[in-house]
Amino acid sequence: MLLHNHIPITPLPLRNPTRRRNAAISANFAVSDDSLSSRGFTFHRTIENLNLDHLNSVFAAVGFPRRDPDKIRLALEHTDALLWIEYEKTRRPVAFARATGDGVFNAIIWDVVVDPSFQGIGLGKAVMERLVTELLEKGINNIALYSEPRVLGFYRPLGFVADPDGIRGMVYSRKQKKK
Amino acid sequence: MPAHDVVLLPTALKLYPPVVSLDCRSQAFGPLNFPFHLNFGSRNKKVSRLNAGFWESIRSGILKNNTAQVIEPPSIVEEEEEPLPEEFVLVETTKPDGTVEQIIFSSGGNVDVYDLQALCDKVGWPRRPLSKLAAALRNSYIVATLHSTVKSAGEEGNGQKKLIGMARATSDHAFNATIWDVLVDPSYQGQGLGKALIEKLIRALLQRDIGNISLFADSQVVEFYRNLGFEPDPEGIKGMFWYPKY
Repeated sequence: MLLHNHIPITPLPLRNPTRRRNAAISANFAVSDDSLSSRGFTFHRTIENLNLDHLNSVFAAVGFPRRDPDKIRLALEHTDALLWIEYEKTRRPVAFARATGDGVFNAIIWDVVVDPSFQGIGLGKAVMERLVTELLEKGINNIALYSEPRVLGFYRPLGFVADPDGIRGMVYSRKQKKK
Repeated sequence: MPAHDVVLLPTALKLYPPVVSLDCRSQAFGPLNFPFHLNFGSRNKKVSRLNAGFWESIRSGILKNNTAQVIEPPSIVEEEEEPLPEEFVLVETTKPDGTVEQIIFSSGGNVDVYDLQALCDKVGWPRRPLSKLAAALRNSYIVATLHSTVKSAGEEGNGQKKLIGMARATSDHAFNATIWDVLVDPSYQGQGLGKALIEKLIRALLQRDIGNISLFADSQVVEFYRNLGFEPDPEGIKGMFWYPKY
């Protein structure tokens, strides 16, 4: 696949990490808008026209538990930014990602999914790079996510670093609690 | 200093380092007060006295030379438990001179942004623009605070109130919540207050049916959060940051 915009996909071993970060911010998208539309994909940034049952099917297809659509709607209404890609032919969502946060300092990206029939063609990357850019444009510098071990390799080329400086992601578990 | 980072606390304190610290520049603004009453029901705002039991789990125990009455609800979330009141007295101490100090927990988010900035200064965090701090609080799902009030012996009404701790959580109101900015005034550290703050915040989140509570912890506070029921990298899931500055 020809990329219209050539950006370093793997973080270069630049001496100064800040330069690498700034380079990523100013670079154009690896998966351009044209390459998406020419293949019959449109991307959306609101939940308008998003069929939550279809979205739920995509979640189920990648192995997420099926969730109550009303709860999903509630979650999406309280989401800072979201992006989804619609396949025009079927009018169904085929890729999705959203970010929650405080709108000024921190954001966490959740629910990054690509319909299995559409994986491997750059849709996940397209969604992620646009979502990150949108957050950066809002001035949010601290962008984090929780990654399953098997997709660390998907996030790394996008600029994500695991456990930087020894920071660990932690999740509360009721059974865990020591008294 | 990393953008996301956990703050390195000033020397004296070991247990309650904040989870995240941020960059900022200070600006002058008018008084910014954000009464932020996230409520669930009408029985809020009462300061209730509840039974002790909680403190056994806190290592530091009773303060010396004072009569510390610990008033605290059982901290484990049980099946049929009473909803957490929005505001209640966590600890009450009567000093030798008769003054009474109360530490009050609140999940109502009533934080004066200037007080918060002063507290952040105290723990050594880089300054952030007040307007952004205010916006961050406004956009947080729950803002939990600890205030200390001191009354002279026999004084009626509330004494001076001082912000001594805070923790906040952002959330999508349905599935996930993430805890940020945990801080406790250095002069009040070592008493189990940070632990109480997080426990109450967790309880408030669970009561609102938020199933997934997460946070990012500096390596030196992973144990602190582990003891509160957090697990690092559950099932190998890793926290990742976009081009962290470090």
